[in-house]
Amino acid sequence: MTREAIQAVINKHIMEISEEIQEAQIDPSRSMKDLGLNSLDIVEIVSCSMRELKVKIPRSELSKLTNLDALVDILHQTVAQKEQAPAS
Amino acid sequence: MNSGSESDKFSLADFFLAETDDPLVPPPDFLKWRRDVAWAISLYEPSLGSAAEAICQLGSRPVINMASYGYLALMRHPKIIQAAKDALDQFGTGSCGSPILSGRTTLHDQLESGLRLLTGKQGVLTYNSGFAGALGTVAGLLRKGDCAILDERSHTSLVDGVRVSGARLAFFQHNDPQSLDSILTRESGKRRLVIVEGIYSMDGDMANLPALLEVAESHRVGMLVDEAHSILCCGPGGGGVVEHFGAGQRVGIQYGTFSKGFSSCGGFAAAAPEIVDYLRFYSNPYGFSCALPPATVAGLSAALEVMREEPWRRERLWENGDYFRQQLQRLGLDTGDSDSYVVPIVIGDDRAMLYELGHALRDRGLFVSPVDYPSVPLEKLRFRASVTAGHSRESLDQALGIIADVIVPAMRRRGLLKGVQV
Ligand SMILES: Cc1ncc(COP(=O)(O)O)c(C=O)c1O
Repeated sequence: MTREAIQAVINKHIMEISEEIQEAQIDPSRSMKDLGLNSLDIVEIVSCSMRELKVKIPRSELSKLTNLDALVDILHQTVAQKEQAPAS
Repeated sequence: MNSGSESDKFSLADFFLAETDDPLVPPPDFLKWRRDVAWAISLYEPSLGSAAEAICQLGSRPVINMASYGYLALMRHPKIIQAAKDALDQFGTGSCGSPILSGRTTLHDQLESGLRLLTGKQGVLTYNSGFAGALGTVAGLLRKGDCAILDERSHTSLVDGVRVSGARLAFFQHNDPQSLDSILTRESGKRRLVIVEGIYSMDGDMANLPALLEVAESHRVGMLVDEAHSILCCGPGGGGVVEHFGAGQRVGIQYGTFSKGFSSCGGFAAAAPEIVDYLRFYSNPYGFSCALPPATVAGLSAALEVMREEPWRRERLWENGDYFRQQLQRLGLDTGDSDSYVVPIVIGDDRAMLYELGHALRDRGLFVSPVDYPSVPLEKLRFRASVTAGHSRESLDQALGIIADVIVPAMRRRGLLKGVQV
């Protein structure tokens, strides 16, 4: 799965949570907080994205991330690892 | 909790979205995690074999109780118990229906009068649960299209109230007037309500009410203050942080619970009579839920009376809080922002240590609760100690001795002790 596809999943969930946010406003070098989203919205967006991508990263590791790019990176890595691992 | 295990990395924050097809099947990874951390979690929900007093019975032995919110130690006051017993005899066990359709008792009217006196507000509504009341008060006031602006450390009941209402939920940085100002500006044009607490439950610091009110007023936005941990305990007459700052006229709605200072159960909203009358019909946890039991209500009125007669309880509470906090600081421990009788002992980000120390403290006879992420930030895991008016100086010294034996060496080994100022 490409980085772009992962970003698209996150963007979709951001826009589902907030009707006010347009895709063009989403700047991956910034944080979701900068978009006016609150901490509960962010938890929901990340949870929904992980569910869709079928991966699970502890929230405690995600809470250190500072922008959307970093979130895409960690999800991208985790998805890639999962794709490489033999199905269990 | 086994140090370094995979389960250590997960927390309750990770299992909200269930990956099962059937809501009646809990997530399998939650069940596995729950088994892995059973030892840690066994510290929660202990069964007490006595009243939740300063010394209580836990399992088969007495412990020093610093986990009770009964700040004024009213839970076994003879006058309150007698009033509740008399009401039980006269009015029976329950209120038997929603207040609007099935009525309440004259005892409820008396309690509301007492709460009017306490808060100086002319409208009062009582709820059978502190949580449901906070949720219902917020949800009764706000609508979709509105915006609630909460201190980021606000209790879940307030957050859930906003979510139920469908209003937009925004947080400002804890106790920071500038942050409040910028959020109020960002959300201008909407109907807005600022929501803060009197004393914050996990940090024990008081709302910076004068500065926050000034900002809210400059935007012409009203404020709700949840005094769950401060009502009856704070202010010269027990009227809470609002009374402490002399801000009664400036705070639109005051909310309080009966579970803490009152050592009972339930909650109330106090505001102008017109708002309260509106809430009567639009705050569902009031109108669609049974009124408080008469015995509870009689006990609450008696508690108000007791606190008029025994103001020393409030003084003792603050003295005890100051003593305990200062002694912890002398031990080099981090009590965060606390300036009250709610005293966190912040230990950092080591979860395994949190639970190991939690068990060691419990084994030594100190009942104090660990507070884990996501209730508090990851790097600020803590024990939350509540001091009450019922703690003797000896019991506080004993508790401090246990903490000095258990927490201090562990923190020192990890280089986490602050400069000791003996
Ligand atoms: C700020 C705040 N509001 C409401 C509540 C809910 O009160 P209760 O426990 O009485 O239901 C609490 C309880 O912890 C609280 O801290």
